[in-house]
Amino acid sequence: MTNTASSIEQSVLIAPAVYEAATATIRAEAARLLSEGSVAAVIGYVPGRRAGTAMPAVVTDAEAAQQLVFSPACVNNLTLFLTKAKKEVRKKGRLAIVAKGCDLKALAGLIGESQLKREEIVVIGVVCAGVYGAAADRRAPLSSASLARKCRECSVHVPEGVDLLAGTLPELPRLDPLEAAELARLEAMTPAERWAFWKEQFSRCVRCLACRQVCPFCYCEQCLCDRNRPQAVESTPRPAGNTAWHIVRAMHLAGRCAGCAECERVCPMDIPLNLLNRKMAKELKALYGHEAGLEPKEKGPLAEYREDDDQSFIK
Amino acid sequence: MHAEKVNHDFEPKIIAFVCTWCTYAGADLAGTSRMQYPANVRVVKFPCTGRIDPVFILRAFQKGADGVLVSGCHPGDCHYMAGNFHARRRFAAFRGLLDFVGVDLQRLQFSWVSAAEGGKWVEVVTDLTERVRQLGPMREFKELEQEECWSGALAAADLQEAYEAIP
Repeated sequence: MTNTASSIEQSVLIAPAVYEAATATIRAEAARLLSEGSVAAVIGYVPGRRAGTAMPAVVTDAEAAQQLVFSPACVNNLTLFLTKAKKEVRKKGRLAIVAKGCDLKALAGLIGESQLKREEIVVIGVVCAGVYGAAADRRAPLSSASLARKCRECSVHVPEGVDLLAGTLPELPRLDPLEAAELARLEAMTPAERWAFWKEQFSRCVRCLACRQVCPFCYCEQCLCDRNRPQAVESTPRPAGNTAWHIVRAMHLAGRCAGCAECERVCPMDIPLNLLNRKMAKELKALYGHEAGLEPKEKGPLAEYREDDDQSFIK
Repeated sequence: MHAEKVNHDFEPKIIAFVCTWCTYAGADLAGTSRMQYPANVRVVKFPCTGRIDPVFILRAFQKGADGVLVSGCHPGDCHYMAGNFHARRRFAAFRGLLDFVGVDLQRLQFSWVSAAEGGKWVEVVTDLTERVRQLGPMREFKELEQEECWSGALAAADLQEAYEAIP
């Protein structure tokens, strides 16, 4: 399992110019916001030390805002910095955040869960043509071969409801959805084959918990899976605990996950975690017509109910 | 009303997570009415079906359950007004997830059994026990419990050879 599709089709270059335009707008806007004092800090991306990389940064003065960039290497979901898990960032005061479409869905989810208020943050939305996948060669310009899997079926290239929009959308090539195909492949298997598939995948898990740490929705101050009196989920990297951990995590994210696929990106063992999340999203769409979107919803599908919900599975 | 005593090769372990207000009282009624039902079921009492976390079901399977029953009040009868409505959504989603991971959903049953339905309790428990008996033991989670991490790789022939080659 790789995060890129290299062999399937000829690689198509994906609009490099849009990233430069977005970078210029982000810098100007961040400098303006910081110098006029309307925000205390801007959460954005700065170049990493190696060529072709970028890393998240919390910029607090207008001069440093000139280092902000937006490139295909800006893979992180910065919404993470607005959660309870990163208290020190919220303490700085009013914040501005650079957000791609997929990150904006997570932001909407957090607002819906009352983790922050829309008026407390300034959202600099960026038009995003896609970012690098995990195994991509980052010295080469972004092409359909090095594109992250989630970007192949992105539905929000242009974010909506933001305070400022950076960049304009170029014409994008049509790409085959890989994740949907993989999901369909798994769904067509027999239960025993699926069990074998997931058993193999989960057995690789080393329980580094990077998937949890990078997830904007895993902001619980105490995780159920860290508790040991009583212990709900075994915490050592053995098959039983691993399977339980991933099932529990998928369950906790059901109806909340924004599909940013950060969990899958940071997984050192290349476990296709987003498949589980996608499955749950699909399931809840089918059951309750709920979809993670850009509009904050007051309640998720598992936090509310209707009296006439389907109960054909209950005898 | 005495059930015939039959010897079976395999006695399934069934864990029943029940709500204290309806199904527990229903099972109690079945008992006080001297109805017979399989002794394979172990009842765990909860304040409400809304309290039953999917983790409990996983834990039951890991610890050797061959079948799990979750049962509570009929919709609208919840002692806490809406606990069973929330549980209904949660378990509908959880079923989808378990199926996707490859667990046989026939081993997992959800029911509404009220305090007056001693007969239904007997029926549900008997059905599930018989079904699980046909399916045989639940091996998947128990095997996971027994396996060490990396077990497959460590048992490889080339590693064994390398190990034996150490002077």
